[in-house]
Amino acid sequence: MSAGKYLTFALDREEYAVSVLHVREIVKIMDITAVPQLPPYVKGVINLRGKVIPVVDMRLKLGLAARDYSERTCIIVAEVTVRNRAVMMGVIVDAVSDVLSISADDLAAPPDFDISKNGWIEAMATVKGGLKILLNLDKMLGTDGELIRAA
Amino acid sequence: MSSSVPDPLAPDPDLAVLRGDPELARTFFSETFDHLSSIEARILDLERTPDDPKALNDVFRPFHSLKANAGALGIESVEELAHRVENLLDRARSGEHRLGQAEVEITLAAVDLLTGMMRDVEVRLAGGKGSDFRERRAALIATIDRVAEQAQDTRPSEAPSEDDDQQRTAGNTRAAGVESATSASVKVDTRKLDSLVDLVGELAIVQSMIQQDPQLAGRSNERLYRNLAQLHRITGELQRGSISMRLVPIRHTFQRMSRLVRDLGHKSGKALELVVSGEDTELDRNVVEEISDPLMHMLRNSVDHGIEDPQTRQRNGKPPQGRLSISAYHEGGNVIIAVADDGGGLDTEKLYRRAVAQKLFEPGATPSEADIHALIFRPGFSTASHVTEMSGRGIGMDVVRRNVETLRGRIEIRSRPGQGTTFLIKLPLTLATVEGLIIGVGAERFVLPTFSVRESLRPSPHRVHVVPGEGWMIQVRDDLLPLARLADLFGIEGGAIEPDQAVVVVLEDDMQCLALMVDQLLGKQEIVIKSLGDALVKINGVAGGAILADGRISLILDAGGLIRMQREMSSRAA
Repeated sequence: MSAGKYLTFALDREEYAVSVLHVREIVKIMDITAVPQLPPYVKGVINLRGKVIPVVDMRLKLGLAARDYSERTCIIVAEVTVRNRAVMMGVIVDAVSDVLSISADDLAAPPDFDISKNGWIEAMATVKGGLKILLNLDKMLGTDGELIRAA
Repeated sequence: MSSSVPDPLAPDPDLAVLRGDPELARTFFSETFDHLSSIEARILDLERTPDDPKALNDVFRPFHSLKANAGALGIESVEELAHRVENLLDRARSGEHRLGQAEVEITLAAVDLLTGMMRDVEVRLAGGKGSDFRERRAALIATIDRVAEQAQDTRPSEAPSEDDDQQRTAGNTRAAGVESATSASVKVDTRKLDSLVDLVGELAIVQSMIQQDPQLAGRSNERLYRNLAQLHRITGELQRGSISMRLVPIRHTFQRMSRLVRDLGHKSGKALELVVSGEDTELDRNVVEEISDPLMHMLRNSVDHGIEDPQTRQRNGKPPQGRLSISAYHEGGNVIIAVADDGGGLDTEKLYRRAVAQKLFEPGATPSEADIHALIFRPGFSTASHVTEMSGRGIGMDVVRRNVETLRGRIEIRSRPGQGTTFLIKLPLTLATVEGLIIGVGAERFVLPTFSVRESLRPSPHRVHVVPGEGWMIQVRDDLLPLARLADLFGIEGGAIEPDQAVVVVLEDDMQCLALMVDQLLGKQEIVIKSLGDALVKINGVAGGAILADGRISLILDAGGLIRMQREMSSRAA
């Protein structure tokens, strides 16, 4: 649970946040090439200035219903740690909101939901009157290795 | 200079200077390995012409430089060993003593040991645990001392003449003034080079996307078109130029083969001769590294199974020396590396019988000579009556072929019984791009590397059959091939269902074929290969990603993977 700057984004009516330390850039939704045999929340790969990056649909990953992509849909290009290596991945979200500074006072331990047992939810924060759910991207996308298929 | 031996268990005082300056360390390693490589090459020449003063100098000078550099940087173990060998060689250089077999062996052993010690320094510098070289060093030094003593007793009768003294002084001056060669080249960190190649690749893609932008299509601005054409041309040249920077001559690899053949000759007791040509031929740096092991395997194989012993050769009217040759040349868009021997050739009878015994051919089948020759690439198929230390249990050749295929190459055999065997390795000039056939299925596009595509055709419905236990099959001329829809293999929606509305592409990999049904053929293109990133590993049937001219990604298909997938699918349905 650490203080610092977080990028917030909305899914349905909830606000989530990820540490800016993970965020490389934000791009508008673009053509995604589907790749077979991957979990359904991995929508495929995109061409980011010549680099091929896998993208994950955050709604599907969190178990929310899928939604059509709109003008506001964005891809957050994040750097996560996979098998001790830094890897770039895209995360599709409905819209991005702000970058907020969250201080230690605002943080509270995550409630005892199942999902937080995986370590996906790092903490809850109360900022500007709203509740933000702080996500741990490394645990969600990275070291748990769900995108890595055994050879 | 001190002769104290650094204790490998002490905290590496000899690495202090290198630790403090990584740039210096890189230069030191690079130069030292160059010196060692140069010494190895020249000592083999010197073995043939031991009196050649230039060659003597060419072996002495690098040892001197190596010693000086190591000494300046405090690597005492390397300095000491180099110094001992330098002294030994100096005797020959000064005419005191003629270079003999013993010195050659010592020099080669010193090159090996110093290489090992240098690699050990690299490991320790990176924080790893080093190895103990004390025993090996002591052994080599003892050998050097022994040979030096013996040499004392066999001085040539004339005292060193003035000429010799002058030569020695000249040699020393040259050695002292040695520095980075006056060659017109620059050492570049390969990471910087790879970065540059990547950037240029990205530039090419963006340039292509701009050029294909539909917004530009409507306008008729002559100046804009001229500029775009210019941009396209320059980008193309930049790309070719940057890729060519990764090309290096194959000389160094061929040089190692010289050393290998010499050692093989001694071990096997067969007299061998190696003819090398085309050392200047350039290949992608990575390919040059990766092709080294396969080449060594093939040479070992030739010496072990190909070249006959001297008596047999003489009986058959061949010169007693077995002749091996390696050559490299460009042909079409490929590099060809040929490994040939004038030995006994492949025994097709024996291979055929063994294949039938292993049920690889139907009894009564008539495989072509090429098919029979290709058997030697099957794992474990060696027909050697005994397993030798050198080529092992028939493991070598299938690994060779796999290595070559990893480099997207092909390997062919030409062999005549009694005359010899030639292996031809065909490699693409660059690993960065591949020629691909673009196919469409539903709303998606995929790329098939053209080297996997045997042919394509419009199927007629009466040639498509359902065979119980096998699934869909299609008659293509005389063959009956398994037929699969790419849409089924990859779970794609849409896509033609009826064969007469589709196109069939016949894929080939490792002598197996698959007729793949797709919607349409969209053209052929030279494409830049992109890996799918570190997070996605080994998707079956997918070899990588390609960024097509419009900037969208298409998956590059892997024929072998698709063939396996189809087999699994049909065996599950059965």
